Amino acid sequence: MNLHFARGGRTKSIAIAMSIIMALFVLRLFYIQVIQHEYYQRQADSEQMKKFVLHAHRGEIYTMDADTPTKIVMNETVYTIWVDPTEVQEPNKVADVLNKVAGGNVRDNFKQYITMPDTRYQVLARKVTRTQAELIKKENLAGIGFDAVSQRVYPEGQLGAQVLGFVDNEGTGKYGFEQANDTTLKGTDGLLKTVTDVRLVPLTVGDKNINVPAKNGTNYVLTIDRNVQTKVEQALSDGMGKIGATQGSALVMDPNTGKVLAMANLPSFDPSNLSAVTDLSALNNNIITNPYEPASVMKTVAMSAGVDKGAMTPDSTYVNTDSIVIDDKTIQNATKGQTGTITMQHALNWSLNTGSVTLATWLGGGSINSTARDILYQYYHDKFHLGEKTGIELANEQGGTVVPPTEVEGNAIRYANMTFGQGLDITTLQMATAFSAIINGGVYRHPTVVAGTMSDDGQKFTATKQNPGEQIIKQSTSDTMKKMIYDARQAFPSYHSSDRSGYYIGGKTGTAQTIENGKYVFDQTIATYVGFGGEVGKKPAYVVMIELSGPHKNFDGGHHALPIFTDISNWMIDYLKLTPQG
Amino acid sequence: MSYTRTAQFNSRRQSNWGRNQNTVAFASAVKLGPVTHTVLVALMITVLGLIYLTQATRASSYDYAASSTADQISTLADQKKELEVENARLTALQSVKNSSVAKNMTTPTDTQHVNE
Repeated sequence: MNLHFARGGRTKSIAIAMSIIMALFVLRLFYIQVIQHEYYQRQADSEQMKKFVLHAHRGEIYTMDADTPTKIVMNETVYTIWVDPTEVQEPNKVADVLNKVAGGNVRDNFKQYITMPDTRYQVLARKVTRTQAELIKKENLAGIGFDAVSQRVYPEGQLGAQVLGFVDNEGTGKYGFEQANDTTLKGTDGLLKTVTDVRLVPLTVGDKNINVPAKNGTNYVLTIDRNVQTKVEQALSDGMGKIGATQGSALVMDPNTGKVLAMANLPSFDPSNLSAVTDLSALNNNIITNPYEPASVMKTVAMSAGVDKGAMTPDSTYVNTDSIVIDDKTIQNATKGQTGTITMQHALNWSLNTGSVTLATWLGGGSINSTARDILYQYYHDKFHLGEKTGIELANEQGGTVVPPTEVEGNAIRYANMTFGQGLDITTLQMATAFSAIINGGVYRHPTVVAGTMSDDGQKFTATKQNPGEQIIKQSTSDTMKKMIYDARQAFPSYHSSDRSGYYIGGKTGTAQTIENGKYVFDQTIATYVGFGGEVGKKPAYVVMIELSGPHKNFDGGHHALPIFTDISNWMIDYLKLTPQG
Repeated sequence: MSYTRTAQFNSRRQSNWGRNQNTVAFASAVKLGPVTHTVLVALMITVLGLIYLTQATRASSYDYAASSTADQISTLADQKKELEVENARLTALQSVKNSSVAKNMTTPTDTQHVNE
């Protein structure tokens, strides 16, 4: 039997209608699934896919504890709690739990963000501790997320604060080591892009998941020794307290390696309590950021040039009249009365300006001509690297100024002044580094605060390769200068009477006038002392430099800075277990 | 002994054949109609779907286990870090200096140096 639709029958009409409807369905599905594919794919991805930043851990910072690296800046995990309002099911419960558990950490008016429309991420609380976060997690609140973030912790308090610097709320290093090495300390954040369920648990559904692990920042080990740093800060504080100084700096270096063992400035600050800082200058590490006229400690550099050039020996003599005329300008000695024919050693002992200026004239064959100025500039700038940054791994280092003889200002008067530390600006670090080269055999090594790096588990210390340095003056020059500087300290009982006996300790005083608005003021000086110490017959083991000042205070190197040097020097002898002679 | 053939074999010798080709083919006496075929295909698709769902669900359950384990690891790492911080604070020089042990220490009256 053949079945067929009756012509014009209802069944045929229904079939045609159904076919049209089916065709419409097919067309609609084609439109949605093929033509609108990308649009709906994006819609689905935006609802199902979530991106998470995998935060890299900021590198931790170690100091040395004698020979053992010890943490001085650590990370502590705290949590930022955020909400995706579209996922929140119980807004009142969320508010209650946060108030109860982390009431002190929530942002102002945080409740309004829980139900805020047209947003999928709003921070509700910051710096929530792990314990608090655990309590909140137990409530199993939909739409609530936790971002673990690191916070810097300082177990040693404000020890070495200006060396370390700090990290601001955006996680960026400011000042000191943190700023100078921010990029390597930060590391690189990772990314997790994945399908999640409603509680943001990552699921392995789909083929678009991305997981790029975070790369943690470098853990650095500093050359700073926490024991030396503690002693230096204490000695500086005690010494300043005795004389009423308001600003002071102290630096301890290993002259044979360029490693900085301690670097202290007062006043200082607590990096974990920055809101308490009222004077922003306390954040500065004046040892590297504050160039000044170093005064008579520079005579050691000038005489090194003289000895190295063969222009003088400690026994070379000149006639001291307590003043000397250079280009119609009279330069006076600060200390009067040592007149007559005297040796250069005597001039150094008494810190006579006429001695160092006379030396400059000897370099020029009788006057401070271009030859003399070229030689001095060569030694000051090219060899001892004064007036330029040392390259230490700390932020905001300043280079200072040493005017070259090719400039108009680089005249004979300036160069005469430069022999006793005026007319140039250098940092304490530059001076101590140059002094180290003078007494270590003549090798200049750029100063450093980086001893090496540490593995994430704190087990593997990798030391940085030591810079071989450059021989800038002859070994014999260094030997001569070391003896001269030793004799300069031994010349006065008040200088060395407190020294531990049986050790080889030398140093040079400096008393710098202060410049305000381009002119010297006479009611304020900067006291400086730079010296070395070690076993007799061996290389010096340490260099210490002290700098003190205060508003309307006249300090001098011998009376005010030297005792702090002696305090630190005697302590260093014990700490380094140096053996006395005899 | 009598032998009763229960299956039917159709010789293919009469048709075109060549080497390595079966010369006989089994032909079941049971014939499946189009409805049965459709039902069987639907059943197979259903079974495959169930298998897929089972596996997908199992994979998701692993995700939850993995997430839970990751949370545990994170928590333990945080606890370890907290202990390290506490240890660092307790062994900080100021803490040591202020400890009762340090306060009870005395300065030696004399120090002898030995040259090794």
